Amino acid sequence: MTSRRSFLAGLAAVAIPCPTWADAGNPAYLAAAKQGETYALHGLTETGESLFSLPIPSRGHATAAHPNRPLAVAFARRPGRFAVVIDCANGVELARLIPPQGRQFNGHGVFSADGSILYTSEVVAETSEGRVGRWDATTFVRIDEWASGGIGPHDIKRLGTTLVIANGGIATDPRDRTKLNIPTMRPNLTQLSDTGAILAQADLPGLSQNSIRHLALGADGQIAFAMQWEGDPAETVPLLGLWRPGSAPRLCEAAESEALRMKGYAGSIAWNAAGQIAVTSPKGGVAMLFDEDGQFLATHARGDICGAAPLGAAGFLFSDGSGGLMTLVAGSLVPLNRLALHWDNHIVSL
Amino acid sequence: MRALILVLLALATPARADFPQTVQDHILPGYAAFDVATRALADKASETCLPDELAPAYHAAYDAWMAVQHLRFGPVETDGRALAILYWPDPKALGAKAQMALLTGDPAKLTPEAFAEQSVAARGLLSLERLLFPAETLPADPCPLIRATTADLARIAAQVHADWQDGFAQTLATAGDAGNATYLTRPEARQALFTQLATGLEFLHDSRLGRPLGSFGTPHPDRAEARASGRSQQNVLLGLQAMRQMVETLTPDAPETLAAFDRAIGLAKTLDDPVFAGVAVPRDRLKVEILQQAVAQIREVILSELAPEMDVGIGFNAADGD
Repeated sequence: MTSRRSFLAGLAAVAIPCPTWADAGNPAYLAAAKQGETYALHGLTETGESLFSLPIPSRGHATAAHPNRPLAVAFARRPGRFAVVIDCANGVELARLIPPQGRQFNGHGVFSADGSILYTSEVVAETSEGRVGRWDATTFVRIDEWASGGIGPHDIKRLGTTLVIANGGIATDPRDRTKLNIPTMRPNLTQLSDTGAILAQADLPGLSQNSIRHLALGADGQIAFAMQWEGDPAETVPLLGLWRPGSAPRLCEAAESEALRMKGYAGSIAWNAAGQIAVTSPKGGVAMLFDEDGQFLATHARGDICGAAPLGAAGFLFSDGSGGLMTLVAGSLVPLNRLALHWDNHIVSL
Repeated sequence: MRALILVLLALATPARADFPQTVQDHILPGYAAFDVATRALADKASETCLPDELAPAYHAAYDAWMAVQHLRFGPVETDGRALAILYWPDPKALGAKAQMALLTGDPAKLTPEAFAEQSVAARGLLSLERLLFPAETLPADPCPLIRATTADLARIAAQVHADWQDGFAQTLATAGDAGNATYLTRPEARQALFTQLATGLEFLHDSRLGRPLGSFGTPHPDRAEARASGRSQQNVLLGLQAMRQMVETLTPDAPETLAAFDRAIGLAKTLDDPVFAGVAVPRDRLKVEILQQAVAQIREVILSELAPEMDVGIGFNAADGD
């Protein structure tokens, strides 16, 4: 005769819920860092506290966060030959993705809305032609790949059931990242359907040397994109653009006296719920703010500032190479926290 | 007498050198001198607009700018002030075009308030150069624009100096103190200053020298900075001397760095090519290339000697191309 206690224990045993991000402490963000000679993936709260620090095998670039399971895929810096799938609740490395022969990861990836598929931005190693790798997000076995619609894809984001890809346009030597095609490069934005068909594309006539690299999505389906200028560094060019698939992209200029502070390089981009857009330049040591119409608002200085993510209803979280985490308060950058490490490139929101 | 000289030499090398000394002995005096020199230039311009009479004060102001132009942080970076002081390179000649409109246009745009709203490319030292050393006869009397330009320079120089004296010097010198939201630690202050050296040397190499050098098959002597007033080589020399002085205030122990600076400075002094016209002549081009290589060498040495000495580096993210 089963006791009531053992009966309930039996029920509990079969009702173990799937782990969620709550089991990893409910981080608001993921960010990779260099600590001494090692590398780690941190989960951060909205107040800049680190909830966990999980070792990753080498320098990480961006991270893809699963929509509901506490999984993060940390991509090696491009040209990347592996991505590590980490269970953030217990720090276990669940899988290591190796791109197929002839392919390299390009630093970014995104899960489908239901978390069943992982999409990875990749290049054909010898030609830098872009691919979107598709992986089963349960077994992490590769399913297939699509063409990304351009050369050197970098950031990749999910927009409804479609994918938006920043094709940077730069062909690089697979061994040492040397840029090979600067005089003839043609970056573009490409939107793919859920079957990999090209739905829309946009390029930058007259500004072909402005590599499109990073993306942020607005509340109403607009796409903000951040660029890195490969032309004459003395020329002032817009580094932020806005695109609604189906229309031409709009380029957003900073004030003439401010634009050169970005040193032609936008490293990260974020779009918050209040409609403000932030782009950072670690080379210029500044973050620039724009409104949702692309009007320049302000410049904030902070050495080696890099990662940017929306914070709360109307703010931003920034990270820098000195270990600082900062936010904007009443129009000034204020420190939230500082860790003894170097934050790397991007902060990913969960 | 010999004992006195030895004592004086011993005093010349600071026993203690760190970022507070850089603020006191390099940055503040540099901005003070720039403030004084631009004020003197504006005062002279109010007496006379004759190029021959204004040229010495113009050169003195540009010399004073070269002593601080590598400091691209803090007050000089707000409101585009550094660009309003010197807008260079200007590959599309935006400055000349905007300035021509001011020269022949509504004089109401030359009041201090209105002029400060004009394009940064149309203001500053090289805009003044175009008026004092014009390539062709100017289509209008340049005197009101000369006065507006020099007054604007003096105003900005005074503001930058005041902002440093009234607050930013303290902010930098007290890096790491509780409540300092700009420099959270003392290493961040050293990092900020090291970055100015690295970037300043890069700009010397890539722009002041690199732009006129172009490539062997396509030199661009027309791209040298401040050609009309004959300052291209002088500016490189002054920039090197200023950055060398900054290193001396930052640390007492960087002998290789100082030696690398001395080598480049020696080459810059003896180059005898005031506007780098020689870049188009193979034998003379070589001398400019050697100077450029010497500047590259300084940048390598600051990474290998100065950076570990100061416990800093090229910014972790700035060093990476993404």
